[in-house]
Amino acid sequence: MRIRTPKSWEIRESDVTPEGVYRLRNRRDFLKTLGLGAAGALFLRSGARAATTGFPDTLNPDYSGAGLKVTPYPLVTSYNNFYEFGTDKGDPVVNANQGWKTEPWTVEIAGLANKPGTWDVEDLVRKMGGVEQRIYRHRCVEAWAMVIPWDGFALRKLVDFADPKPEAKYLKMTSFRDNVRDRDAGFDGPYIEGLRLDEARNELAFIATGIYGKAIPNQNGAPLRLVTPWKYGFKGIKSIVRMEFTADEPVNTWQQLARDEYGFYANVNPTVDHPRWSQASERVIGGGVFSGRQATLMFNGYEKQVAALYQGLNLRKYF
Amino acid sequence: MSPPERPATAAPPGWAERLFRSKVFVWILIVLPGLYPAWPILSQNPTVLADPLKYLLHHFGFVACLLLAAVLALTPLRVLFPRWRIALALNRHRRLVGVSAFFYALFHLGFQFLHEAGWPTFFTDIRKPFLFVGMLTFLILLVLAVTSFHFMVRWLGGRRWKNVHRLAYVAAGLAAYHQAAARKIFPVQVLWIFIPLALLELARIVRQRARPAGVPGAPASRG
Repeated sequence: MRIRTPKSWEIRESDVTPEGVYRLRNRRDFLKTLGLGAAGALFLRSGARAATTGFPDTLNPDYSGAGLKVTPYPLVTSYNNFYEFGTDKGDPVVNANQGWKTEPWTVEIAGLANKPGTWDVEDLVRKMGGVEQRIYRHRCVEAWAMVIPWDGFALRKLVDFADPKPEAKYLKMTSFRDNVRDRDAGFDGPYIEGLRLDEARNELAFIATGIYGKAIPNQNGAPLRLVTPWKYGFKGIKSIVRMEFTADEPVNTWQQLARDEYGFYANVNPTVDHPRWSQASERVIGGGVFSGRQATLMFNGYEKQVAALYQGLNLRKYF
Repeated sequence: MSPPERPATAAPPGWAERLFRSKVFVWILIVLPGLYPAWPILSQNPTVLADPLKYLLHHFGFVACLLLAAVLALTPLRVLFPRWRIALALNRHRRLVGVSAFFYALFHLGFQFLHEAGWPTFFTDIRKPFLFVGMLTFLILLVLAVTSFHFMVRWLGGRRWKNVHRLAYVAAGLAAYHQAAARKIFPVQVLWIFIPLALLELARIVRQRARPAGVPGAPASRG
């Protein structure tokens, strides 16, 4: 008889809420539950469903969202910046769901790596050991903030898997290109983002394949996207098709569009203003009309995890 | 002071002309965009509910730009199409439309204060060109609104009043910049609003160069 030791990420069948139970909850009830914040996180923990079909999913206790109020799902999935599908916040939820296929999907690992290749997303997630859930703050450069329960895997796993060569210093990521929609995007070519390799190896850097324990919706960057919670949201490139290890710093799309307003680093920093508005505080999405603002935290509250990366770097110059 | 607005041989006004001459009708046209946000908010549109204040802020700013461009378009329309009676009818409402642009801008600024939670960073923010220009535009509209009363026109005298109100063109230029700078990439709607206005003004200048308006004894017929 074969004795099988459960992997750390596996959860028992009995822990999984039967689909019938959570399907019964209507949207308003769902919202209310999530509005309770910590209680919402508990609900998620027990009710979490595989982010990419067939993978078990457990909440990472280091990022359980303690003390954070999770942004309701309908808001996370209908207030998006995804310029390939239009420049208004409400455009992507409509335009990204009109026949745009994100399945099947392949990701190419290229450049200065010992293990280049093209992988189907499902295979890649399997190779990364499945998915986990992390609740992260999200801060947009436009001075609004959310709290999002992501499902996915640590980017570090993918970097280790690709086995970059010693001369590789950066990871350049490229998004899909949909010619039909390019005219709306306001920029040419595919969206490009990048990280320094040590940033990509930081424990916070995450590749999301789901949110709220469900497969990630198209408007949020299906089927896989970058999440770097200590950086402004535009670093979180969506719908990635290519990951290339490079020796030189990639020029990201927003830097290309407005070099004086958006840099390569894009670290959340309340003391370095955008040329057109203050970054000292932020509006919480879903807060309503009289909710006011909350103070923006250095590195979006992740100073402990990432401050060491930027020692000696002039953050005013390298914004 | 101003030349007669109706041709001497006036046919009885048609229904469209009567409609556009009606103050009530124009009032309704002006108030409706202000009520429009009630629809997405009451129907719980999640994109709007995500940050309703930002939505209101942008919406009222947008309508203010639209009304400012509209009121400035009325005079060139009358000059370019002196026999188009709708244009003449609409020109009766110049003050109403102009003052309403100010009120939309006032709401826009009010929403900005709410959005910034009292705007504690006002004095550092106002040094940023985007916000400085917005505030300057508002101050111009404030001056124009305050001087829009009949007694102000009399007090200033027609010529001086007219010179002051030429500031509206400056306000339009500043508003175009402010609206364009409000987004991360250039918003095309700015062109929809201000390019037609610029073309109308250009055509009007060309026309008035060719045939100076308001000069006694100038030929009344169009060329």
